[in-house]
Formats: sequence, structure tokens, C-alpha cells
Amino acid sequence: MGKTDFKQLVSVEMRFVYADVFRRKSLLLMLVLWPYMITGFVLIVGSAVGNPQAFASRVGVDPAPFFIVSSFILMSTFVVLDDIMWKPIFDEEVGTMPYIVSSPVNRLMYYIAIPLPRLTLSVVIGLTSVVPVLTLYWGFEGFITSALVLLLGIFSALTFSPLATSVAMATYTYSGESWRLMNVLRPLLMVLVGVYYPRWVMPIAMYVVTALIPPSNSVELIQRLLAGIATVERSLMLLGVATALAVAYLPLTKLSVLRWERSKLKEGVKV
Amino acid sequence: MSIAVEARNLFKKYVTKKRLGLIRSVTEYVEALRGVSLNVRHGEVVGLLGPNGAGKTTTIKILSTLLLPDSGEAYVEGFDVVREADKVRERIGIMLTVEKGFYNRLTGRENLEYFGALYGIPPKILKDRIDKLLNLLELDKLGGSDRLFEEFSLGMKARLSLARALLKDPPVVFLDEPTLGLDPPSARKIRLLVKELAREGKAVLYTSHNMFEVEIVCDRIVMINKGRIVAEGSPEELKSRIPKVRALEVHLREAPNHIINTFKEMGLEVSQYSQSSEETYVLKILTKNPEEVVDDVVKVITSAGLDIVKFKLEEPTLEDVFIYFAGDSSG
Ligand SMILES: Nc1ncnc2c1ncn2[C@@H]1O[C@H](COP(=O)(O)OP(=O)(O)OP(=O)(O)O)[C@@H](O)[C@H]1O
Ligand SMILES: [Mg+2]
Repeated sequence: MGKTDFKQLVSVEMRFVYADVFRRKSLLLMLVLWPYMITGFVLIVGSAVGNPQAFASRVGVDPAPFFIVSSFILMSTFVVLDDIMWKPIFDEEVGTMPYIVSSPVNRLMYYIAIPLPRLTLSVVIGLTSVVPVLTLYWGFEGFITSALVLLLGIFSALTFSPLATSVAMATYTYSGESWRLMNVLRPLLMVLVGVYYPRWVMPIAMYVVTALIPPSNSVELIQRLLAGIATVERSLMLLGVATALAVAYLPLTKLSVLRWERSKLKEGVKV
Repeated sequence: MSIAVEARNLFKKYVTKKRLGLIRSVTEYVEALRGVSLNVRHGEVVGLLGPNGAGKTTTIKILSTLLLPDSGEAYVEGFDVVREADKVRERIGIMLTVEKGFYNRLTGRENLEYFGALYGIPPKILKDRIDKLLNLLELDKLGGSDRLFEEFSLGMKARLSLARALLKDPPVVFLDEPTLGLDPPSARKIRLLVKELAREGKAVLYTSHNMFEVEIVCDRIVMINKGRIVAEGSPEELKSRIPKVRALEVHLREAPNHIINTFKEMGLEVSQYSQSSEETYVLKILTKNPEEVVDDVVKVITSAGLDIVKFKLEEPTLEDVFIYFAGDSSG
């Protein structure tokens, strides 16, 4: 006894999240509408400052499918960070924290498991946004592309998880459990990942630095797919880099979780 | 009986920053523990007894790896609570409050399954274990198995919390005021179960500020006050350790509020006074030589114009013992 069973962990975490989501219908509706809202907003603002044709000729993609895909990717990726940030705050509030900290659960497995349930929810959202829009625009080919986008959205989130956990726990260690610091870091990360503009127009130095954030590679692959300029070699390289980085960050993840827990033990875990 | 829990000379000082203005703040220190040592053997329930703020929860937190001590050591099943926290965590069950610590939107069973997964209990074993515990704590009868936690009564919440503490069948159990605020049936259920745990060979550390409770639940009592252990022993031993002290019990017609200070000035320990059922007030004075103070006590009462209904010389209760020891240590 005492060995953490990852499958079991995911299944209980899944039930915990879904019990919450299905009781808050407004949240569910919000999740479904979000990609459309962002796209609508960007298109309205965008057409006020420039015309859609200019965008299409520069990027090689129509703005509507581009932004609906971008919003989906952004959402499925950053859900990981949000979940990991949110869970400890919630646990502290409801008083479950001491029972988690005093459990022998494998910390790495636990934090990897936390965002998985909501990721399954992202797939649902992809099905209601990315799939119909791309199919509408490009027919069967669009449908296939949308399936790839869904898979890459999940891949992007999974490869983000180790870095997201490290960043979240480091900010908690540094400034306590609050969103204050993350309110600055989160938009910054979003910009760096490069969802709302093609990654290949970035200056080279910035391109290299931001490539260290695993999801930016998935984002680039998706953008290339949409623009029809994804070669097999380039695609494999992007997937490989994202995977390698995610694995490389794992020790950092474990360290940052342990550091954070240790910092909590100084004042004691709140009951 | 082998030693399951051992604390040696634990010290803990809480540091809190209190804001005075935008920039200015003062640092405040609370010395929660000032050299706490205790041990618990397998097969016994040890009561950690003390008033509010004595350091009971702080001690429990250190032992359950939720708080680092400033100095001193503690071992659970031979493992250091600081350096071998993982090993300790595999061997303890904890209950820190009666009312919190579960997910509102999950049922009793689902909550136990959640924590069972964290404790690494294989699903098949876990299911049986949960069934057994739900039954043992009568949560199934109370409808707690498949009802959401947010709909639980306080008694049900406490039972579920104890069930979680026992989920992995740990050899060591820490219970922090497990019956606080419960109605008699739930409190009795929990007390009976705790005694049963010790009979099975588990080591139980049980905190309370209720004398009556520890006297019936615990095999041994450790009294803590202001971060220090002030006395230790079986309920009988503790009472016999202060043989010279007797309790002078005076029953009065009116409330004696205004003369309590007079007794204190005379150097007498006023242990309690309460309104008893038949509209009399009971004043209890602890003294080593009742014969000598009796006259003075009567004089003070009568000159205050109060009527004495009854006058008794009693053996001290555990509560009296506690006040006697606590009074000793606070000076
Ligand atoms: N996190 C904290 N920060 C600052 N002071 C604290 C903290 N936790 C406890 N204290 C203080 O430390 C002392 C001991 O607290 P503790 O909770 O251990 O007492 P207790 O015996 O459990 O009391 P109670 O019967 O009220 O639960 C108290 O004076 C309390 O105010
Ligand atoms: Mg307490």
C-alpha cells in the first residue's frame, strides 16, 4: 500500500471536476461560447483597424478559422495552468489541504492528473467550435484539419503541464497562494506562446526563447497546418522539441512542488 | 506495548506580521510550544488535554507532518516526522476538524474514494474498506454514503472524517477534538470506536478540552497548558498525585460573582462556579488545608450577605486537577 496509482488518481479527479461542472451550467455554457466570443471580438476589432483580406494575404489563413483555432488552443493549453493554480487555493478554502499534504501521494503524478479532466472538457469545446467552423470553411479537408487541431490542443496542454506546474508553484512559494503574480505572468505567457499571430513572423531571438515554452511548438505546427505550409520534417521536429522540453522540465516540476509544500510547512498547513 | 509516537522537547513559535498602515507592520510571536515531550504506545489512547490555545493542534500538526517544529524531534513508528515525512504519511490517519475537509459536491463514498486514491489504496481493497467503514460509523444507515457532503449534518461530517482517518487502516491515529460540537449519540459513537481502535492495537492521540471525555476515553492523559506539558498519567494517577488538595464546595442561593476576587486575593484557587439545576450556585475552592480556610471562606460569604445552602468537602475531579496543575505552570 502507499504506491500511487495514476489511473485511479485520474478517475477520482475526473469525478471531482465533473461533479462541479455539471452543477454549474453557466460555466459549461461559458466554456462552449468562449472561442466564438473571442473570435467575434477579434474580428470586430480587427476589421475596424484593417481589413480581413490583408490578414488573409499576410498570414495565409482567413481570420475567422485562424482565431477560432487560436482561441481553442489557448483555452485548452491555459486550462492546465489555471487548474493547477486553482486547486490549492480551493483546497485551502474547503479544508482538504491538510489531508492532501499529509498523504503519501506521488506529487508529480498528482499535479499531472489535476488538469486532465478539464482537458477532456476542452475536447468537447473543440467539437463545438473548431470542428464546425473548419468544416464550414474547407469542407472535408477542414474536418480532417480540425481533428488534428483537437489532438494538437491536447498535446499542447499535456506538454505545457510540467512547466505550468513549475511556474505556478514557484509563484506560490514566492508570494503565497494568490493570483496576484499570475495575473501578470499569465498574459505574458500567452503572448510568448504566440497564439494570436503566426510564430514565423517573430524575430529570431524571440522565436528561440519562446520555443522553450513547449506549447508554442504545437501552436506553430497548427498555424502551419492552417496555412498549408507544414512539412513532415518540420512537424516532427516541432512535436519532438515540445515532448523533449516537457520531459526535461519534469524534475523542475517535482522540485517546485516540494519547495512549495515545504514553504507551507513553516507556518503550518491551515486546517 | 511498543512506542508508536514519540515527541521530544518540541518548540514552535508562530511568526505573524500585523499591518499597522500601508508600510508599517509589527512582527508578533506566539510561543505555541515550549518543550513538549510525550509518547503514545500501540494499544493505548492518550488524551492531550488542554484549554484553548494550549498547543494541542500545533502538536498534532507537527506529528502529522503538517508543520515543522523550530526545534526538538518527533518520531512516528520510528520515522522522523521532518526528515522521513513520506514514511510517516504512509502510517498515520488524521482527523483535524469535525466540520470541514471534504468536497461539497461529492457524496460521502466519493469523498472517501478520492482520499483513498491519494493514500494509494488499490481500488478493490478500497471499495471493501469504504463499505466496512460506512457501516461501522453507521453512515450508510444515516444516508451519508450516497448523499452530497454539503447536505451532511455535523455528526455525519465528523463520522466521515473519522472514516477517512481509518481508511488505510493506519497503526497510528491523530484525532484533534473529534467530538467538538457533536450531539451525544454521534459523540458516543466516536468515543466507543476510538476505544475499539486501541483494543485492535492502534496508537491513538486524542486531543480535547473536555475532562469528562478524556477520563472515559483515554488510558493516559497528558495535560498541556501554554505550550508546556504540566502533568501526565492515568486519570486515577493524576487525581492521586495531588492527594492533599481537596475541593471545598459551597452551594449558594445567589450568584457569588463579586466575591470571587476576594478569594483570589486570599490566595485560594477558585476552580469553578456554576448554576446547578435547583437554582443554587456552586462555588468550588481548591485548597491543601481545608480546615484552616473554612472559617475564612464562610466569613467572606456571610459578610457579603449571601446564604449558604450546602457545604461539602469533595475529592477533586479531573477538572480540578487540571486547574491545579495549570495554575502551577502559569506562574
Ligand atoms: N498559524 C498560526 N499563526 C499564529 N499563531 C498561531 C497559529 N496557529 C496557532 N497559533 C497560536 O498558537 C497557540 C496554540 O494554538 P493551538 O491551535 O495549537 O492551540 P489548541 O490547544 O489547539 O487550542 P484550541 O483548543 O483553541 O484548538 C495559540 O495561542 C494560537 O493563537
Ligand atoms: Mg486546536
